[in-house]
Amino acid sequence: MSLRNTPRLETLEHWMQAVVMHPEGAAAGVRSRPARKLLPQAALDLESVVLPSRALSSVGRLDIYAHMYYARLLEILADEYPTTRQILGPDAFEGACRRYLQRHPSKHRTLNRLSERFPAFLAKYLPRGNRGGFAVDVARIERAMEDVFDAPRAEPLTAAEFAAIGADEWQRVRLSVIPALRLLRLKYPANDYMNAARGKGRPRILRSRATFAIVYRRGYQAYRRDQDPAQFKLLTALAAGKTLAVAVRASVGGRRGNADRFAAKLGGWFREWAAAGLFCGVERHGAGRRRR
Amino acid sequence: MSQEILPNRWKLPDLGLGVGLRTQHFRYITERWPAMDWFEILSENFIDTEGRPLYFLDQIAERYPIAMHGVCLSVGSTDPVDFEFLDKLRALARRVKAVWLGDHICWTGVAGLNGHDLYPVPYTEEGLRHMIARVRIIQDYLERPLVLENPSTYLTFASSSMPEEEFIARLAVEADCALLLDVNNVYVTCRNHDLDPVAYLDAIPYEHVVQIHLAGHSDNGTHCIDTHDGRVIDEVWQLYARVHARTGGRATLLEWDAKVPKFPVLQQEVGKAARFREAARVARPAAA
Repeated sequence: MSLRNTPRLETLEHWMQAVVMHPEGAAAGVRSRPARKLLPQAALDLESVVLPSRALSSVGRLDIYAHMYYARLLEILADEYPTTRQILGPDAFEGACRRYLQRHPSKHRTLNRLSERFPAFLAKYLPRGNRGGFAVDVARIERAMEDVFDAPRAEPLTAAEFAAIGADEWQRVRLSVIPALRLLRLKYPANDYMNAARGKGRPRILRSRATFAIVYRRGYQAYRRDQDPAQFKLLTALAAGKTLAVAVRASVGGRRGNADRFAAKLGGWFREWAAAGLFCGVERHGAGRRRR
Repeated sequence: MSQEILPNRWKLPDLGLGVGLRTQHFRYITERWPAMDWFEILSENFIDTEGRPLYFLDQIAERYPIAMHGVCLSVGSTDPVDFEFLDKLRALARRVKAVWLGDHICWTGVAGLNGHDLYPVPYTEEGLRHMIARVRIIQDYLERPLVLENPSTYLTFASSSMPEEEFIARLAVEADCALLLDVNNVYVTCRNHDLDPVAYLDAIPYEHVVQIHLAGHSDNGTHCIDTHDGRVIDEVWQLYARVHARTGGRATLLEWDAKVPKFPVLQQEVGKAARFREAARVARPAAA
């Protein structure tokens, strides 16, 4: 190659990236508009840019990188979304993942955030209907499991710390939730499906029904469970920083009968949440937030 | 094999024999505290997370020396240096008291994207100047030598004007960085480019080498891929023996990342290196 035609390092890197990230492989990548714009001579004479080996052509050598790019990232997505993959089937799942990677290529040094937009992408990409809707909800739970896995640590409030909140203080306290908690309002019973999918056989796709799930980390293990609608509403309000009194009012609505039923359940919900370690701080009226 | 033995110029310790720390073995290690001289971590697996991996790493770092080895520093990239990422590396290094930290002689992405693969740079004067400048900036910022590894490569740019080993040697000397010599990568690269691995090794400035990697690979007939999914082949052990004869002992690490076996298999495999190290010691009584 003459010095005049030697591509600059920056051009060569941009060109190679365009080629190896092309969804149809390196040959299509070399012919693609972005690659031709960067290095027109490569489309005419690829050997002037990448040398062949004794056994492989120039494009065959580029294809090693092109294949590895998708293979590596597809494997990660399959690991992170096993139940979504089961619902869609391996081929449809891989097709969705390939489109996702083209639309949202990784922009991070770590792989933790590779799939953070995958559920939202699926919501637009999949055809409407029960299977697609179900898959989106399952994907939201599976993504939340990834999120809480990496979320910052926070020590949950102990039983003694709960007990230290005076009876007259409860209405006015604000409770902080742990960073490793996600609240998911779903259109399908996706968590039930995931529980069933852990057993033998393949569970049925159920019809649309609003469900409310929480995903959280306790110690170093991620958990998911469904919540009663009123319970979910209350926890959402508490997580938004409302005092218990305001959160209860918002969750109960105005009716007296509701409030009585609600009060009867409240103790059980708090015991469940405390056992799950969902709260990590208490802010008393007029005092600073503690143990965040 | 009778060339001069060169200690590394930073006098960084020979840590002995280690293996790459993988999630599959967290529980085994923290329950049994098996015999192992040291561990190497994949830096990115412990960044931007406060979950289970860091919990185990903290315990393991209390008992074993830890070296940090990354895959996304992208030293050869023409994108700007990511100082925020360097801060995260530095914080992790402080947390685990890393004996050193490094990455690969490659780039992983441009235009803000990351391919999560080790892409080769063209071995040109421009490529060399660029990488030397980047390594100096990163070393100045981190205030320690970077330990850079020769990657397995699968293509040759027509614009390359020097062999890979010359590029690496000049980079190490001119940027004054340390080298992690992956002898499996030397074998794979030489197979893929019809090169002589012995000539490749003879060109390496051993006073810059502080660590050695061993691993298995896949031989696809037309080319080899650095898959880290099996035992080290005999030809690679022979290259290791050759390197050991030149260095007189460097921290040696076995990588096994796919089809990961039980921990005792790793102990047994990396333990084979002891035989080569001992053989070199016996053959060289005056240097002992």
